Amino acid sequence: MNDPLEAPVDEAAAAQQRQRYELADDTGFDEVPKKYRKFYRRWQGDGDSLAPNEVICPVCKVVIRSTRELRPGDRVYCMPCMSRLVVVRNGQGMLEATVSY
Amino acid sequence: MAVRDDVHELTGEQFHEQVHSFEFWFHSVEGYLSGLEYGHREGAAEPDLDDAERDRLISVLCNYCVGETAALDGASGLVAIAPNRHAKIFLSTQVVDEGRHLEVLLHRMSELGVADPEQEIAARACPSLLQFKDRLLELVAERDWEAAILAQNVILEALEFAVFHHHAKTADAITAEVLNGIVKDERRHIGFGENELGRRLRDAPNEHRRLREVKDELDHLVLDALEDTARSLGVGDIERHALGRMYIGSVQRLGLDR
Repeated sequence: MNDPLEAPVDEAAAAQQRQRYELADDTGFDEVPKKYRKFYRRWQGDGDSLAPNEVICPVCKVVIRSTRELRPGDRVYCMPCMSRLVVVRNGQGMLEATVSY
Repeated sequence: MAVRDDVHELTGEQFHEQVHSFEFWFHSVEGYLSGLEYGHREGAAEPDLDDAERDRLISVLCNYCVGETAALDGASGLVAIAPNRHAKIFLSTQVVDEGRHLEVLLHRMSELGVADPEQEIAARACPSLLQFKDRLLELVAERDWEAAILAQNVILEALEFAVFHHHAKTADAITAEVLNGIVKDERRHIGFGENELGRRLRDAPNEHRRLREVKDELDHLVLDALEDTARSLGVGDIERHALGRMYIGSVQRLGLDR
């Protein structure tokens, strides 16, 4: 059986289809050094929603933001709680992050 | 080595190196602690608490001090037995955090009119929490790295994070500001605990069983302490269950729940 992870991928084509995001400098998040603050924001609770470039850290519940639309297999970092995470699609078809120890 | 400005483009090694440093710690806490005095803005007006409210708040703060003292003593001892440089440096930042937490909580009690906070803590401390502290320090003295990290950075820190976060929503403005500052520090502590333990369990899966036993032994002590604090805070059953959710999530991800 072929391992799908080893199948050749047209990376340029895949990258072209990804939406890019300009991250606002100030999200009000103040728990990491200044230059990294734009990559995080606080979850606002009911009424808040995640953009295609965002996932919630399962460890500390901060919203992690990327400059590109996220897809399963992407690696992101939660700096506030120092976790390495991998983006996966859950049973409901939503993107979520799992901790990669 | 050049460090990229897009955090998600760092290599795992670069990320690890960055976040386990005093440099990272300093620039992180600077964002939310600069300009504060003892964890809150200078000159903030004291709340108008009646005697019963004030007394309940003091009891809760006394037990927060017991938890923070446990974490301070625990983290100090763990520096000596940490298995690598990253863990040693991180834990030394945690020692500073825990010392600050104890200081601001003691100061808050003084602001509330407690003449001798140490004596008040001795009189009001929850016995289960004191037992938990003793057991944590035994694990550290036995140089049991995994069990001590589980007790301190997963069990104790996760419950402190949840309780402080919840209490800050209903507390007076000064206490809330002090607690919110502590919660921001705790995010690093719980993350370190889960990730460190996750790596150790990945490399030594036979440790699961032993750590499950440690967890079972400690669970009832912290849950008793949680009950005690929840009662003082007037937290209902549903909210009490929600407070344990963060800890349960962490334990499940580590595979220590079965």
